[in-house]
Amino acid sequence: MEGFFSVFTVELLNSGIRLATPILLAALGGAICNQAGVLNLALESKMLLGAFVGILAAYYLGNSYGGLLVAMIAGGLLGLLFAFLYHKYRVDLVILAIAFNLIIVELTVFVMRAMFGNVGTWSDPSIVRIPDIQVPILKDIPFLGPILSGYNIIVYFSWLVVIVMFIYLYRMRGGRHLRAVGENKSAAETVGINAILLQTLALVISGALAGLGGAFLSIGHLKLFTRNMSNGRGWIAIAAAMFGVNHPVGVFLASLFFGFADAFSVRIQNVTDLPPNLVKLLPNVATLLVLVIIALRSRIALSMARRRFRSQLRAEESARPAQVEESL
Amino acid sequence: MNNPRFRKLLDAILVPLLAILSGLVVMGILIVILDKPVFESYAILFSNGFGCKEFGNCIFITTLERATPLILTGLSAVVAFRSGMFSIGQEGQYLLGAAAAAWLGYALHLPPILHALVLLLAGMLVGSAYGWIPGILKVKLGVNELLATIMLNSIAALIVEYLVQFPMRADTSAVAHSPVIDASAQLMSFLPGSKWGVGFVIAVMAVIVVYVYLWRTKSGYEQRMAGQSRRFALFGGILSDRAAIRAMLISGALAGLAGAIEVMGVHRRIMTGFSVGLGFDGLTSAILGQVHPFGVFIVAILFSGLKLGAQLGLQLNLDIPRELGGTIIGFIILFVAAGRFYEESIARIRDWFTRRRSQNLKGESS
Amino acid sequence: MTPAIEMKGITKYFASTQVRANDQVDFSVESGEVHGLVGENGAGKTTLMNILYGLIKPDSGEILIDSQKVQIDHPDDAIKHGIGMVHQHFKLIPSFTVAQNILLGMEPHQSGFLNQQKENELVEDLAKKYNLPVDPAAHIRDLPVGMQQRVEILKVLEHNAKILILDEPTAVLTPQEVNELITVIRGLTKLGYTIIFITHKLVEVMSIADRVSVMRAGRMVGTKKISETSIPELARMMVGREVLLRVKKKEIPRGEVVFEARDISVSDVNGLAAISHVSFQVHKGEIVAIAGVSGNGQTELVEAISGMNSVDGGEILFRGKPVNEASVGERRDMGMAHIPEDRMVVGLNLQTTLDENLIVSRYNHAEFSRYGFLLMKTISEFAEKVVKAFSISAARSGEGISMLSGGNLQKVVVGRELSGNPAFIIANQPTRGLDVGSIEFVHKTLIEERDKGAGVLLISAELDEVMALSDRILVLYRGRIQGELNAATATEEAVGILMAGGMLEDLKREVQS
Repeated sequence: MEGFFSVFTVELLNSGIRLATPILLAALGGAICNQAGVLNLALESKMLLGAFVGILAAYYLGNSYGGLLVAMIAGGLLGLLFAFLYHKYRVDLVILAIAFNLIIVELTVFVMRAMFGNVGTWSDPSIVRIPDIQVPILKDIPFLGPILSGYNIIVYFSWLVVIVMFIYLYRMRGGRHLRAVGENKSAAETVGINAILLQTLALVISGALAGLGGAFLSIGHLKLFTRNMSNGRGWIAIAAAMFGVNHPVGVFLASLFFGFADAFSVRIQNVTDLPPNLVKLLPNVATLLVLVIIALRSRIALSMARRRFRSQLRAEESARPAQVEESL
Repeated sequence: MNNPRFRKLLDAILVPLLAILSGLVVMGILIVILDKPVFESYAILFSNGFGCKEFGNCIFITTLERATPLILTGLSAVVAFRSGMFSIGQEGQYLLGAAAAAWLGYALHLPPILHALVLLLAGMLVGSAYGWIPGILKVKLGVNELLATIMLNSIAALIVEYLVQFPMRADTSAVAHSPVIDASAQLMSFLPGSKWGVGFVIAVMAVIVVYVYLWRTKSGYEQRMAGQSRRFALFGGILSDRAAIRAMLISGALAGLAGAIEVMGVHRRIMTGFSVGLGFDGLTSAILGQVHPFGVFIVAILFSGLKLGAQLGLQLNLDIPRELGGTIIGFIILFVAAGRFYEESIARIRDWFTRRRSQNLKGESS
Repeated sequence: MTPAIEMKGITKYFASTQVRANDQVDFSVESGEVHGLVGENGAGKTTLMNILYGLIKPDSGEILIDSQKVQIDHPDDAIKHGIGMVHQHFKLIPSFTVAQNILLGMEPHQSGFLNQQKENELVEDLAKKYNLPVDPAAHIRDLPVGMQQRVEILKVLEHNAKILILDEPTAVLTPQEVNELITVIRGLTKLGYTIIFITHKLVEVMSIADRVSVMRAGRMVGTKKISETSIPELARMMVGREVLLRVKKKEIPRGEVVFEARDISVSDVNGLAAISHVSFQVHKGEIVAIAGVSGNGQTELVEAISGMNSVDGGEILFRGKPVNEASVGERRDMGMAHIPEDRMVVGLNLQTTLDENLIVSRYNHAEFSRYGFLLMKTISEFAEKVVKAFSISAARSGEGISMLSGGNLQKVVVGRELSGNPAFIIANQPTRGLDVGSIEFVHKTLIEERDKGAGVLLISAELDEVMALSDRILVLYRGRIQGELNAATATEEAVGILMAGGMLEDLKREVQS
């Protein structure tokens, strides 16, 4: 058992935060779309596009940071296309997402093979991995220092996005309008709010964020691109958004949950015989439970009104025989 | 031309047909960008997906074999959607069905046909049980089945990954896999050198069974009515909740069956990387096939043929990356989903023609 | 004094439901008055107001505001002209606070940043100005319906509306809240606001409005000053029909009780009583009519009787057996038939064939299925038989029914419901939206069934229909039986008064004066 506890090191926390970052970025995108009332299941495709375009751009520009920017733009454009098809042709969101996911998974590999020959993975020694930063003040904080410092810029950016998104949604006019659209579109439109514009904005932002998350995987981590690199992280991000009930802070914590489970499962293999996959089950099952709780809540609210009515009737009934007796 | 039934059929296939044609056009564009011969590409694609090199050596056979899991998972989606349950859980049900079959294939030792039947049944039962979960959650608690099945897919993938890497692991080779199932459990193939066999026959039977079930039985009728108009179903006395659960049980069974057949007829075991998204491919076949068993059958074969043609023909002969196949399929789905674009264009063309005609008539009379 | 609003020659036809909602309607409202717009469900009043508010474009007609012709294509235009509308289904964001809802779309901000404190103060001032106290920080989802409505009114006032349209404002309020609303309306008119309110509750109109306009079947019947009219007159204008349809009906002795409701109560979605302690019986061989303007609990009553919803208090007995727990299917098997008020969404499935529509209530009976399989040929023959028996034109076995006219659709419904020789038939607004010929057909059929020994429960808002068909008349108002009359001796005035919420004493008083 000693081996089990040896896993809980600072290194684990570092790894967990790193693994959580792409999920966090995509999940924040998914959350803002949910808040705007448009379900975005195509996060996987935007991540993958960002991963591919990002590393390509880093190579051709000779600058990895440029690659990140291009990845965000590519993801944003894909989000814009998604919004256009959804609003103009009323395409079903789920089918649209499935189509996008399928196209991007295949098309990225197609282009990679067309450009670089029949390879399964592509990389180039000239590509520079996004470096880790030792933040000046943070790194000296006792105890928390090693946990907060030493990540690359994408990680810190993702934390910044959490704060910015919180401020936007809950302290700014545009964000409040966006949430209004998501909760009652006709009420928002009646007061002149442009629902289509806000939903499109949400889709573009989520595309950009997911694209950056994908770029983190290729430029910020592995320094290569391979088929289906995102490996389901887009779907995990959807789960994290659900689990965090679409609130930026909730999504942050949920993404950390998934990230830690991932990091934990890798490390646990080396010290015990506990199967790693089962650890990763925890956040998934927890998300399912959250779905159930949310559904239960609205079910209960509906039946409360009815139950109150019935108990009222029963109270009347028990009072009546007394009245009859009085009249006699 | 005025027969209403014929027109209905025409309307049903017009958009998918246009979508497929558009997809092929996109393929042509991509090939031109790659500076490869366009028409030769089409020819090679089709002959390598649907053609025969010589009598008795048809690549079409392989296409049929590859279409088998798609047909079954597509049918799974059809049954669910027609009952009003938008479940995309085929992938998870497929994996668990495959795992069940893979395990019983080496854990049990039974005489030949019985062994195979037990595995098929097990795949169906496991898939069915896993399909029941989102069904009961929706009916009793109102949980959104789309979101629930997304989560359940992830959970199933993790469970199967664990099973393959630990309890069912055969040896210490790099890619974890289960022991090969007994010969008594394997599905027979019809031609030597090909995996096409009993599995395909089962798939074809399933198409007919699902069609008959949905349109010729009481239960199927209940499900379709509940899926099309819940208030009407309630008014008429149909128990929609029970119909929805039944739909999920059948849907899960079909997907689980697909997984079992894939193990028994093709791989003879389960391994890491077993899942290549066949559950999703079946789902897309259902959407493109207008959520109808016959449509699923045709589209599944079409998809498999495209993929195979791209893989064998385009890749090997013209050095065009095989992912072109999958890409085009994705575009076709996109075009089908954006069907309104075609409808609007057709309407506009029709208007233009009527205007031309009335102008001509005016011209003649003056 | 020029009218604040004038609508001239407004016409609107909805192709999707084949209904002419507004037919050459003229409507004018004086500045500073409270004007009631009354009519039963489907009379066209909501459509007319939706046109005024820019939610719907009329096919023809014009709108004048302060004698100036205006073009209202969108609610934004209406708001610009000072028109505000409080809808029947509130346009509020449940998770937001009162202040956030009232100021939605026009929040004060500092380069995009909001100031919750300032918003709350603004709303408090607003509430004080109009004497409509609210708690700015309360969340909408926690507030009672009456308070939510107040928030909607404040929202409309904040958008600088001078003319307020209230759509069925009392439909969701408790009696106490209704009184509060009346006070609010009186206060607003004193401040110079003009109020139009849409309702079908005549008692309320009489106590709040200055003038009232009555609509019926898409047409404007007339406009009266409240001081110069009465509930009976308004009721007559609202529910009568121009064409009197008299069907020949013979006197037959009625049989035993086939259906009984004993002290039943049913709640609506908000937990308020939609049906309150209602009792009645229906015998074999009689037609009992439940007369009443739509919205007084009919829907909940029918749902409870048919089994589509459950009863919260009391008992339902069918053929002497308690059936509170019985499902729809079980009640149908016992001999209950149901002609619903919404034939296109509830009574039929327009996405499927004629045959599949006709068997929905009996598909699991031996005649239509065996060993789980549907007997397609038998079903097809049955469909042909029904088409012939009821002369349903343009309908054929194996084909869809979405193109059929309203009358033919109703024939499909009736053909199905009556083909099992039911012992008890619920007919809910069976002739709504039908042409004269179809109405005659439905009436004839219901009487035939009654003569054959079935018990018929007719729920209708059409006075003529009630008088012509029924043997006994019960009037439903606000979920209670307002009164019972024998059809042979009842007068239209008496029924009309009860339907409008009055008491029979009112009629006697009117006769005496």
